[in-house]
Amino acid sequence: MLDNTLTTREEIRDLGLRTEEMVLNMGPQHPSTHGVLRLELVLEGEIIRKVIPHIGYLHRCFEKHAENESYTQVIPYTDRLDYLASINNNHGYALGIERLMGIEVPERVEFIRVIMAELQRIASHLVAIGTYGMDIGAFTPFLYCFRDREHILDVFEKTCGARLLYNYIWIGGVSHDVYPDFVKDVADIVKILRPTIKELNDLLNYNKIFIDRTANIGILPADVAINFGCTGPMLRGSGVDFDLRRDDPYSIYDRFEWEVQVGKGEMGTVGDCWDRHMVRVWEMEESCKIIEQALESFPEGDVQSAIPRRVRPPKGEIYVRVENPRGELGYYIISDGTGTPFRVKGRAPGFSNLSVINEISKGYMVADVVAILGSIDIVLGEIDR
Amino acid sequence: MSIPPENKKYELTFWEKIYIPELVKGLKLTLEQLLEKKFTRQYPEERWVPPPSFRGRPVLALEENGVERCVACGLCSRVCPALAIEVQAAETELEKERYPDLFEINMLRCIFCGFCEEVCPEEAIIMSDEYELAFSSREEAIFGKDKLLMPVDKLRPRLNYLHSQY
Repeated sequence: MLDNTLTTREEIRDLGLRTEEMVLNMGPQHPSTHGVLRLELVLEGEIIRKVIPHIGYLHRCFEKHAENESYTQVIPYTDRLDYLASINNNHGYALGIERLMGIEVPERVEFIRVIMAELQRIASHLVAIGTYGMDIGAFTPFLYCFRDREHILDVFEKTCGARLLYNYIWIGGVSHDVYPDFVKDVADIVKILRPTIKELNDLLNYNKIFIDRTANIGILPADVAINFGCTGPMLRGSGVDFDLRRDDPYSIYDRFEWEVQVGKGEMGTVGDCWDRHMVRVWEMEESCKIIEQALESFPEGDVQSAIPRRVRPPKGEIYVRVENPRGELGYYIISDGTGTPFRVKGRAPGFSNLSVINEISKGYMVADVVAILGSIDIVLGEIDR
Repeated sequence: MSIPPENKKYELTFWEKIYIPELVKGLKLTLEQLLEKKFTRQYPEERWVPPPSFRGRPVLALEENGVERCVACGLCSRVCPALAIEVQAAETELEKERYPDLFEINMLRCIFCGFCEEVCPEEAIIMSDEYELAFSSREEAIFGKDKLLMPVDKLRPRLNYLHSQY
């Protein structure tokens, strides 16, 4: 009789039923909010009329802390922004200070950084894909994803001594040189990952139930995505061909052959949850390509020769942006010539990506909020900072 | 407001309708996993041995003659981003002239970044391989010299690793 998605209040009233808007709080302890996020849902029956995200439960004053620490001491704090992609965070910050100070980084360091950043991207996407499956109701892919992420974490651990918060990329270099078997281990990981991606496609991505839950849900048109400042898989899922690694190349990304993956609307409309999800899956494959090419020409050398004895950048300011697994991570750093930064502003991709949730979830059902939120792939650590 | 278009209708084929091939496919995957190597670890019984690169809890190296290496220069407490370390120096008759009268690491604050180890000129503060850190009170989590001092022999693997790096 009634198609829920098209029901308006007027139509219901015509049937002689009384309706009222209801406010439902989802979170901050809800398992599908990926951390401590509270969503205020304004509902009409089961149909969403408005979603108001309330953030700040994980606020740790990163920016204010940075003003009281020396430039090197900020690096462990950047780890804790996007805790699933620590190395990418370190990379952006180190890059900013290096540009301020005009430091040339040795070749080997650049290669290590790119390999590590891409491994981290894969690890982060594996978590995103696994937890998204779990949000939708598929538990097995989650375990498979974590099993394969473990191989990457093992390499990180052997290299820099930590499994989550690495403090690895330092200004002008990296904290530890890679261990002797590094190249072999990473090549093995790539070999393990390729079948995993196929397995994920069979298990989850082309599963009928999964497609029904995600295709045509949470459609984000390209113009809305650009207006809200969405970046990363969120933007590419909407069909916009934009990736900082290619369009504003930093480090040595311009040397590698790879493709920017965009959503094509294979299962529904361009920019739906399925597209955003699949962009992540395809990106893992592209990261594998970058890693393979980097391993082929992995140079020898010293990794710590360019680390400055004291970090004291000249007066000035810089905005540096890198492609995080979640989008454009930016640091705006102002130096006043002393040993501590005058201001460090972080531009978190998750923050802009989350802000669009009200726009893309209107008119869907309550259960779809979980699917939409999962496809945004937020990490509250960087949103609240 | 975005209104989703009607989902494409998906017709099940005959083989999908009777479910049996799909069931067999699913079970095959499960059974294959049975034969594979176990991925999990039975943790409390089966201990995990970290590699020498692992950054566990920071400890103070204790020489064989029972004197700690630390000369209480205070660099570690200055470089610590989380302000976890407190050092109070005192003078001694020994060759090193100064020793830490009080050396406290607040393990609730420590973030295991390893800067203290990196900066130490005497190789006195070292990240050990201990990773089981659970406390039942806040007072317990403040480690004084009694808990921090560790014989240097136990730290050999880590020291060798550090020497290979720098």
